This record gives sequence, structure tokens and C-alpha cells, in this order.
Amino acid sequence: MKKIFALILTLAMVLSLAACGGGNSGSGTSGDGGSTPPADGSGDGKTYKVAMICDSSVSDGGWGMACYNAMIDAAAKYGWETAYSDSIAQSAYYESIVSFCDLDYDLIYAPGNQYTDAILQAAEEYPDIAFALLNGGADTPAKAANANVTSLLPDAQQVGWIAGILAGLMTETGKVAFIGGMEIDTTKGKYAGFVESAEYIGQQEGKTVEALDVVYSGDFSASDKGIEFAKAMMDQGADVFFGDASAVDSGARQAIDEANAAAGSVKVYDIAQPGDFLGQNECIIGSQVTDNSGLVGLCMEAVENGTFGGETIFGTMQNGVLSAGAVSDLVPADKQEKYQSYLDQVMDGTFMQ
Amino acid sequence: MDSAFITNLILASVRMATPLIFLSLAELYSQRAGLVHIGLEGLAAIGSLAGFLVSLITGNPLLGVLAGAAVGILVNMIYAYATINLCAEQIVYGMAINIFAPALAAFIYRVYFGAGSELVQVGLMTTLSGLLGIASDNFLVRLLLDQTPMVYLAYSLVIFTAVYFNKTKSGLNYKAVGEYPKAAATLGISVVGVKYAASVICGALAGIGGAYLTTCYSTTYTDGNVAGRGFIALAAVIFGRWSAGGVLLACLFFGFCDALQIRLQVGSYGIPYQFFQMIPYIATVVVLTVIGMKKAGPKGVGKPYLREER
Repeated sequence: MKKIFALILTLAMVLSLAACGGGNSGSGTSGDGGSTPPADGSGDGKTYKVAMICDSSVSDGGWGMACYNAMIDAAAKYGWETAYSDSIAQSAYYESIVSFCDLDYDLIYAPGNQYTDAILQAAEEYPDIAFALLNGGADTPAKAANANVTSLLPDAQQVGWIAGILAGLMTETGKVAFIGGMEIDTTKGKYAGFVESAEYIGQQEGKTVEALDVVYSGDFSASDKGIEFAKAMMDQGADVFFGDASAVDSGARQAIDEANAAAGSVKVYDIAQPGDFLGQNECIIGSQVTDNSGLVGLCMEAVENGTFGGETIFGTMQNGVLSAGAVSDLVPADKQEKYQSYLDQVMDGTFMQ
Repeated sequence: MDSAFITNLILASVRMATPLIFLSLAELYSQRAGLVHIGLEGLAAIGSLAGFLVSLITGNPLLGVLAGAAVGILVNMIYAYATINLCAEQIVYGMAINIFAPALAAFIYRVYFGAGSELVQVGLMTTLSGLLGIASDNFLVRLLLDQTPMVYLAYSLVIFTAVYFNKTKSGLNYKAVGEYPKAAATLGISVVGVKYAASVICGALAGIGGAYLTTCYSTTYTDGNVAGRGFIALAAVIFGRWSAGGVLLACLFFGFCDALQIRLQVGSYGIPYQFFQMIPYIATVVVLTVIGMKKAGPKGVGKPYLREER
């Protein structure tokens, strides 16, 4: 009896290892997609499949969730099936990608610069599969051996500008803060844009605005680190926050909400990204929104048309990929007007000129 | 470095040390009965989810903590049966728990809430100062009163554990099982019974440690939110020389290092952030190197107990 039980137990553990070792996976068709015909009528009878990998959770209330929902929205539009594998460790990037390749997925969607090496390696080994790298480098497609990689590159500087303008307008203490997840090029670009725009707005508005040094949590899941970073930065006088750290940002917002509650009024603010998260937390006064869905949709179209790969698709305010989300009532009407005016300058290319 | 920096650093250290205390005590109770348990990370992960879900459904964080304890016990019974009855390798089953339990937690969360759903947030346990209606910026008030009941429970458990292991007959019998189970058996001590009791206590404390994260610390649940604390707890027990007081000091030290690296990052002004992130790990390596030489752990830890074996 003991031997049989031991055997069953061992089998269960081995299956757990096999099923769960690489992260937490889920798969399924996208909403009413999957079997629905493509909206653009380009169907050739084949049901295309897209898979997303992500090192944060797709329910993190930030980056992972927004990127996942972008894939779902695009898949619903084009009638694709979807799957995802989230909360995967860095060591499992490549294995997760090739697992989907082995299952004949047509498009692998990797939302983050940190997946570049794993994507390039898999793209070389699977020349017939398309790889879309969100926030990939502009030169990444050229490095792919089989021209089957496309970079989707929202302009990190403009992302930072959209948040930095609002931060510069709203700060009372003259100190703004940025929390990063990992030190990657896009995060550094967003921070640089955030700092330069906040400081510029300060000059325009007759006040001194400075950004605290960027901090990095080292991962995207540790919401407790977000809490501690936010508390430490508020102690330093920061009163407007922006971040690029997924669940860590959620932790920061919790700490900000608690500080505001203790103070009896909302005096410390947060700007969210990459979706419109106004209302998720009391402290959120606006969002920088990236239409990742449109970018993923362009990749799907290219795969269906057989024209995918070898290019970098830039996302800017000018082409509609980047925008500012709804603004909270906590932002006074005059500042909302100024915010819109500065955003118009970004649109027409005259901002900070 | 002003006084505000130091007081806030101490407060952050206490916040960050509390879940470690629960997890380290879980490991201490397990190892004192001869069971080395490297699966705390997994037990805390499933406890964290159970605490979050029950707190969300009932609106009562205390019930969430109890649920975390119950689920921790339940999952740890797999480890207990395999290692106590089947005499399986403890490290292997601990590792299996580490892989199985977080994946199960992620699966349950996804089934319950769906992928890409709105960020779900729960209310946290009220602090003692909140219950008493005291609002003050005084450091001592914040340190001693602005804490949830779980913090007081953690420190009370440390005192209880120190007394239990050193001043009671039952505690000495318990330790005897971890030192030399065959000798303990000749004295009429139920070795298997003590090992199961240890597994129940370990599962409960690890589950509470995980539930603390989602009922007292963070309003959200995220996959991976235990963030290596299960392994740090393992180091803390060695660091603390398998004593309750030592474990408490070790947890406070680890909590302090983590809080320090966060606060130093914020005020770094040009020093690479990786330097500060290394501090807790360098401290661990240094301290374990210095004090880890002297073997002080239970002699029977990690070894299966076979009653019929000579």
C-alpha cells in the first residue's frame, strides 16, 4: 500500500514539475475569437494562433495586464486564438518561447526588452514563426538571422514626456519620483523623458522641479518593494510618482493612498501606464496609454499577409499609438488646459523646442 | 543621515522582518523535529493566496490569516506523509512543494478572477493604534502601537518558543526527536507523533507568514509575492543557531538590510543601485561564513526515522 501511495505521490510531483516548472501557463481562445472569422476578411480558412510570454502576472494591474489585454483585443479583432505563459523566471524565457514554437503558434508576442536575447535565439531556430518584441530595440530585427522578428517600439521618450508634463504641473514640493523594475533601455528612456519634461515644465511654470534618482526593484512582482520605495521617496519629499515596474507600481500606489488617507487629503499623486487606470487607486491622476493592441494587430495582419518581419514599428503620439488617458478631477481645470496644450506641442513636434 | 531616516528605517525593518519571523519559526519547529523543510516558499505562496481570497470574500483579514494557516497545514501534510511515513528525501519533497504550491496558487487565482482582470484589492488588518483611535507621529507610538495584531503575535511566538524549547519537558522531548529519535523513542516519546505535530506547526506558521503579506502588508496578491522569503528564513534559522532568540535577531537583521538597501537607493545620488541590492546577500554570506562553521543544528535533521532500523 505504501509503495503504491509513494508511486502515486511521486507521479503527482513529477507531473507538477513538468506542468508548472516554467511558470504559470494558461491558454485558450480569446473571448469570442478563435473560431470567429477575421474581421478584415482576409481569412484563408486557417485559424492563426498567438502566444504571449511575460515575466510578471497578467493580473498585475499594470504592465502585464495591459499587454495581455492588448493581445486579447487584437486577437478578437482578427479572429486569432491566444495563449500565454506568465510569471516566468528569466531562466525560463527561452524554454517558454520554444514550447509555444513547438506547438506551431504563428506569432510569439514578447512584451519587453528583456526578452530580446531569448527571442533572437528562438527566431533563429524557428524561421517559420513570427516573433513580435514589444519595446525591442530599433536594431533588433536586423540582428535576427531569418528576418522573422519585428520590434514594436513605443517612443520611450514620449512616454516619459506624457507623464512628466503632468508631474511637472502637479508637483507642489518640486520633487517627482520614478520607480523602475529592471534597468533596461526602455525604462531608462522613460525615466529620461519623465525627468526632462518635468524639469522643463517647472521652468515654464516658474518653479524648480527635480526628480529623485531612479530606483529599481529588481523584479516586477514585489509589490512590497513598491510600498517601501514609495514610503522612502515620500520621506524625501516626492509628491508625484511614475513607474515602469508592473506590480511594484501597485504597491507604490497603496503606500501613496495610505499616506494620503493619513494626511486627510490627496496631496501625493501617481501617474499610471501603459493602460488607462484612472479610478483604480485614489492617487492616480492620469495615465500614459499605449495602444499595444494596435501594434499587435499590425503584426497579425502582416503574418496573415505573409509580410511579417525585419522591421521596427514605432509608436508615437503622432501615429496614435501613444496618448494620455483620462485626467482626474484632482487636477485643477487650468492645469488640465495647460496639460492639453503641452500635449498638443508634443503632437506638433514643438515641445521643448 | 538624519533622525527621520533612522526612525523610518527602523519602522521599515520591523515591517519587513515580520513575515520572515513567521517563516523562520516554521522552519525552526520543523528542524527541531528533524525535518529540514526547504518548501517554505511554496507554503507561504499558497497561504498568501488563501489569506487574500478569504479576506476578500469575508471582508475579515483575521479569517484570511486562519485560512492561510489551514491551507499551509493541508499542503504540508503531503510533505509530512512522504518524509515521515515513507521516509522520502526531505530536500526533494521540499523542492517539490516549492514548485507545486505556487503554481497551484497561481492556477486558483486565475480560475477565480480570470486572466487580465481588474486589479483586485482587499482591506488590510487594522493596526492597534487604529483600533484605539490613536494618531501620532511619535516614533515610539508608531513602533509599538502602529502595528497589526500579527506583529504582536510574531514576537509573542518567539518568546513562547524560547520558553517552550528550553524550559518545558514537552519542549525538551520535542528537541530530543530532532537530536536522536531512536533514543527519544526508548523514552516513550512518540517520534512520529512529534514529527507530525512539527509539520502541522510548520505548515500553519508558513501559511500565516504568507497570509501576512496579503492581509497586513499589501492590498493585492501577485504571483511571486513571497519573493524568496522562504529561502531567507532557511538562512535565518542557521544564522540564528536554531534558537528562537537567534532567529528573531536574524530576521530583524535581514529585514534591516533589505530596508536599508531600499532607503540607500532612494538617496544614492550616483552610486549604482546594484551595490545596495547586494547588501542583504553579502551580509548573509559574511555572517554564515563567520558563524556557520560551528555545527549547532539538531543532529538528526534531514535523516529519515526508521523505527526498525538498527
